[in-house]
Amino acid sequence: MQVPYQWLKEYIDPGMSAQQLADLMTLSGIEVGAVERFGPELPGVVVGQAKKVEQHPGRSNLTLVEVDTGGDILNIVCGAHNVKVGDKVPVARPGSKLPGERLIEETKLYGVLSSGMLCSAQELGLELGAEDEILILEEDAPLGVPVDRLLGFDDQILFLELTPNRSDCLGLIGVAHEVAALTGAQVVFPPCEPVESGRQLHDFIQVTVKDSEWCPRYTARVVVEITIKKSPLWMQLRLLKAGIRPISNVVDITNYVMWEYGQPLHAFDLELLTDSEIIVRRATAGEVLITLDGVKRELDTEVLVIADSTKAVGLAGVMGGENTEITETTKAILIEAAAFNPKNIRRTARRFALPSEASQRFEKGVNHDAVLDAQNRAAYLIGELTGGKVLQGLIDINSSMVKPWPVQLKPSRVNKILGMEIAQEEIIAILSKLGLPLKQVDEDQLLVTVPLRRPDLIIEEDLIEEIVRLHGYDRVPTTLPRGELTQNRESMPERLKTMVRNLLVSCGFYECITYSFINPANLNRLRIAGDDPRLRLISVQNPFSEEQAVMRTTLLPGLLKAALQNISYRELNMQLFELGIVYYPQKLPIISLPEETERLTLLVSGLAPEPNWVVPSRQAGFYEIKGALELIFKRFQIEGVNYLDRAEPFTHPTRSAQLLLDGKLFGFIGELHPDVAVDFGLEQPVTIAEIELAPLFSKANLVPRMVPLPRYPAANRDLAVVVSKEVCAAKLEEAIWAAGGELLDAVRLFDLYEGKQVPAGKRSLAYSLVFRTDEGTLTEAEVNAAQNKIEEALLGLGATLRS
Amino acid sequence: MLQKLKELENEARLKVKNAESLEALKEIKIHILGKKGELTTLLRSLAALDPEERPKVGSAANALRLELEKLFISKEQVLLDQSRGDKWSIEQIDITLPGRQASLGQKHPLTLITDEIKEIFIGLGFQVAHGPEIESDYYNYEALNFPADHPARDMQDSFYITPQYLLRTHTSPVQIRVMEKLAPALPVRIIAPGKVFRRDDDATHSPMFHQVEGLAVDRDITFADLKGTLLLFAREMFGPEQKIRLRPSFFPFTEPSAEVDISCIICEGEGCRVCSDTGWLEILGAGMVHPRVLEIAGYDPKQVTGFAFGMGVERIAMLKYGIADLRLFFTNDLRFLKQFV
Repeated sequence: MQVPYQWLKEYIDPGMSAQQLADLMTLSGIEVGAVERFGPELPGVVVGQAKKVEQHPGRSNLTLVEVDTGGDILNIVCGAHNVKVGDKVPVARPGSKLPGERLIEETKLYGVLSSGMLCSAQELGLELGAEDEILILEEDAPLGVPVDRLLGFDDQILFLELTPNRSDCLGLIGVAHEVAALTGAQVVFPPCEPVESGRQLHDFIQVTVKDSEWCPRYTARVVVEITIKKSPLWMQLRLLKAGIRPISNVVDITNYVMWEYGQPLHAFDLELLTDSEIIVRRATAGEVLITLDGVKRELDTEVLVIADSTKAVGLAGVMGGENTEITETTKAILIEAAAFNPKNIRRTARRFALPSEASQRFEKGVNHDAVLDAQNRAAYLIGELTGGKVLQGLIDINSSMVKPWPVQLKPSRVNKILGMEIAQEEIIAILSKLGLPLKQVDEDQLLVTVPLRRPDLIIEEDLIEEIVRLHGYDRVPTTLPRGELTQNRESMPERLKTMVRNLLVSCGFYECITYSFINPANLNRLRIAGDDPRLRLISVQNPFSEEQAVMRTTLLPGLLKAALQNISYRELNMQLFELGIVYYPQKLPIISLPEETERLTLLVSGLAPEPNWVVPSRQAGFYEIKGALELIFKRFQIEGVNYLDRAEPFTHPTRSAQLLLDGKLFGFIGELHPDVAVDFGLEQPVTIAEIELAPLFSKANLVPRMVPLPRYPAANRDLAVVVSKEVCAAKLEEAIWAAGGELLDAVRLFDLYEGKQVPAGKRSLAYSLVFRTDEGTLTEAEVNAAQNKIEEALLGLGATLRS
Repeated sequence: MLQKLKELENEARLKVKNAESLEALKEIKIHILGKKGELTTLLRSLAALDPEERPKVGSAANALRLELEKLFISKEQVLLDQSRGDKWSIEQIDITLPGRQASLGQKHPLTLITDEIKEIFIGLGFQVAHGPEIESDYYNYEALNFPADHPARDMQDSFYITPQYLLRTHTSPVQIRVMEKLAPALPVRIIAPGKVFRRDDDATHSPMFHQVEGLAVDRDITFADLKGTLLLFAREMFGPEQKIRLRPSFFPFTEPSAEVDISCIICEGEGCRVCSDTGWLEILGAGMVHPRVLEIAGYDPKQVTGFAFGMGVERIAMLKYGIADLRLFFTNDLRFLKQFV
C-alpha cells in the first residue's frame, strides 16, 4: 500500500515529517518498508505560458512557441503540436536538468535559436500522457514556479508492508485512524454528499441480489450526462503517487475512492446494461465472460457474477466485463459499491489468476458500513469533476448482519500475559485513542466494542496486542521463564548423526546440503529401472521446474551435481558427504505421510589426501569410502557388516559392493559406471556410496568395555605371500585366523603389491602377525609352530611364501 | 699430608684441562678417583696418622674428592658437546616447512549454526524435537490458525503434493505435534530445527531453507519471558553487547506477535548498507501462542500461556559469517565449504 504523504494529510495531520511518521508506524506494527520522494528534482524547469504558437519557418513538423516564464520571454522550438496559446506548460530553461542527467541548453534548430525546451510528462519522469505531447499544466499554475514543486515531486511516499490482518490500512482513511491512535490527532473525513438531480433512479433501474451470502451488500448510483476525458492533473498525480495508472475520469475516481476508503468500486456503462438491470447471481455452468483484460473466461456455479437481464457483465469483486466497459463514448454510468464474500472472491481471483487491488481488498473483507460512504463519495466526485448529473436516489440492498461486536478484557490478564504492569488508566487511554468504545463492567473487567473497521480484533489477546504495541514493545521488560527442570539431551539418533558427521569430517570429508527435490530424469540417467523402489516418486504438484519436480529417493543426484560443479571450478579433489532425508510413499498418490528416512551418501573423486610434501596422494576411490564407513562401524561397535560383490545399476560392474548387516542390505559403495559418468558430464572417475542409517543406529553401542592389558610380551612376525588375485583378501585373513589358533592376537595387512616383481595374475600381500598368550611369555619354538601352521594354511590356498 | 693433597689437586686439574677425549678423561678419572686411584690410596693411609691430625686431613681429602667429581662432570659435558658438533648440523631440519596436517573436512556452515543454536537452547532447558518435512495441510496450516481460503496463507507460498499434503512451509507444525503428544503435561520447552520449503526462488529466497522453531508453554509464560529468552539468545550468538528490538507484527498462530531485530552486527547500530541505515537487522518472528492454537493442541488457554519463535538459519549464518549470497549454501562449492574449517 503506497501512502502519498500530502494526500494522507488531507485526512489527518500527524504533526511530523513523513520519515518520523514512518518510524513511529514501523515500531507500532505497520511496517513502512521505505519512504521515497515522488519525483526527481528538476532544477531550472518552471511554469510558462504560451504566448504565441507558430510554425517553424524551415520545418513544417516543428512549431515555434513563445513562452512567458514570469518575466522572461523565451522562444522555443517544439516538436509537439498540442500547445495552444494560453496553455501553461513546463519550460526547461537553458541550463536546466531533466531526469537521466539530460542537460538543456540553448541550441539552433534548423536556423532558429531555441532557448530551452517544452516538456512532455514523460520527459519530467512521469508515466503519463504520450511521448510527443507537451504536458499541459493546470490553468491556475503561477508563472515561473519550479515545476517539480508544482507537481509535488517533493512529496514523500510511504510504502506500507501490511500484514494480512491489517486490511483496515488498505485505505488512506484507515491509515488515518492508525495515525490518530499513534499521535492523538483527529481524523477529518472527506465530503461525500453528492448533489442529486434529475430522475429518480428507482424508476428505471432494477437491482436484484440472488445470493446474499456471497453478496451481503450491494449499492448502486447512476450518473448521467458524463463526458469521459482525462481526470484533472492533480488527481492523476495523486494516483501516480499511489502507484495507480490514470485512465479516464470515471475510472480514476473509482480508484481514487478505493484508495481513500479501501472499498473497491466499479462503473458500468449504463446504456450497455440490457434493461438497465443488475442481477448479482452465480454464473451458470458454461457461461462465458470476456473480462476487461480481453481474456475469455469460462464460468460455473462457483463464480459470482454481476449480470444484466441477458448476460454476465463482470466477475464480482474481481474484474469487470469488456461488454460494459467505460469508453470515450460513455454518457451514463452505474456505480457499484458492494461487499462480497471474501472466501469466494479469493477462490475466484486465484482460479483465474487475477489478483487485483480490488480482489486483494475483498478477500480480506471490506467494512460493510463503509460501502455506502464510498458509493456516495464516488458519486460526489464524479458530479464535481466530470460535469455529470447524479440522479436522485440510491439503491442499497443490505443483508449484512455484521454489527460492532463486544470483546471482554481483563486488565489483570493483560499484565499476566505481558509479564509487566500497565496501569488500568493507561489501558483505557490506549483503547480510546484507538477509537474503541468501552464500558467498565467491574474492577477487573472492561467491555470493549469493536467497530467494523477493525475486523482483526476478535479476542482478548488481540486487544492485548493493541495495548502493548501502543504502550511500546520497547517498554516490555526482559525476564526468563521459570519452572520445572526437564531432561534436554538430544535424542540418540540425533547424537549418532552428529558422531557420523564428526567422524567423516575427521576423515577429510566436507558436508554438503542439496535440495530435497530432484529432477526425475536423473534416475533414468542412473539407469534405475523396473520395480526399483527408488522410482516410487512423490511428485510436487507445482514445482518451479523439472529440476525440482519430485522428492528424492536417493541423495546421489544432488552430490553428483555438486561434484560436477566443483570440477567446473577446477576443484578436482573432493570428498563429500550429505546426511539427509529420502521420501518413500506408502501409496501413490499419497494418502498418508510418507516414510522419511535418514540416508548417508558419500562421494570421492580426484586425489586424497591433497597433494603435499609429506605423504603420497592417490586416486581416491572405493577404499577411502570403505575406510570412512569402517571407522563409523567401529565407533558404533558394529560387527558383522558384509560386503557382497554386486553392483548397482549405475556402478562399475567389478568395483562395487553391496553392504549387508545381519544379512540385510543397507547400502552400497561403488565407482560410478563410466557410461553413467559420461551421462552426467563427469570427466573424472567418481566413487559413491549410500547407506541407510536406521539399521546402524539400532545396533550402535557407544559404551566401550575395557579389556585387561596384556600381562606378557607379544611376539611379532611378518609374513608375505604371493597368491592368485582370484583369492580375495578376506579369504586369506580368514585362513590366517583359523590356522593361528589361540596364540594369534592380531593380523594387519601392511603391504599389497601387484606388478613386475610378481607373476601376472598374482599379487603379493604382507601381513604383520602378533602372537600372545595370557599364560606366559611365548618361546621361539611355540611362535614358530604357530607361524608354520599359518604358512601351511596359506600354501593350501595356492599361495607361495615370499622371503 | 696436606701438602700431598695439594699436589694431587694441582696434578688432577692440569690433567683434566689437557684431556682431549672422553676416553682419556675416563682414564684420568680412574687414575685419580678409582678404587685404586691416587686419592683413594691417600685416604687409606689416613689410619696411620696421629689421631689429632686425622679429622683435619680427612675432611680436606673428602672436600677434594667432591671438588674433583664436579670437575670431571663439567669437563665430560664439554668433551661430549665437542664430539657431537657435526652430528647436530647433519640432523638440522627446516622448521619453516609446512607442518603435516591431518586432512580434515568440515561440517556445512548451516550445520555449524544449527548446532550452535541447539547448544544455546539446550542450555536454557529446551529439548530438541523433529517433525516430518512432508506435512498435512492440517498441521502446516489449519491447526496453526490459517483457515482454508484465508489471505494469511499468502504469507507462505507452498509446494503441494496433493491438496491435503504439502512440503512444510515452516517448522511450526512441530509445535502442534509436540503439544498434542504432551498435553496436558507441563512444561513444554522445545526447539525444532529442520528444512522448510516455500515457492520462492530469487536472489534472496531459496525454495528450500532451514528454520529453528522454539516453543515454551507453561502456567506463567509471559511476553517478557519471550523477550528475555531472545535477548539471551542474541547475545550468545552474536556477542554480549547485542541489543534486540521487538516490532509488532502478525502471525496467525501468535498473539501478540513480533518481528525481532538485533542491533546491526556490522555497524553496531550506527547505520550501514547491510542494515539499510536502520542500525537493526531482522532475524526472527515470535509471539505468544494464540489461544486457539493452544486449544487445538489440547491445552486450556485459560490455564496456560506460551511463547513461540521461528528463525531462519541461513539468515543467521549469513550475518554471523558475512555470507552475501544465499545461493552459496546449496551449490556445495568447495571453495565456499573450505572456508569454515
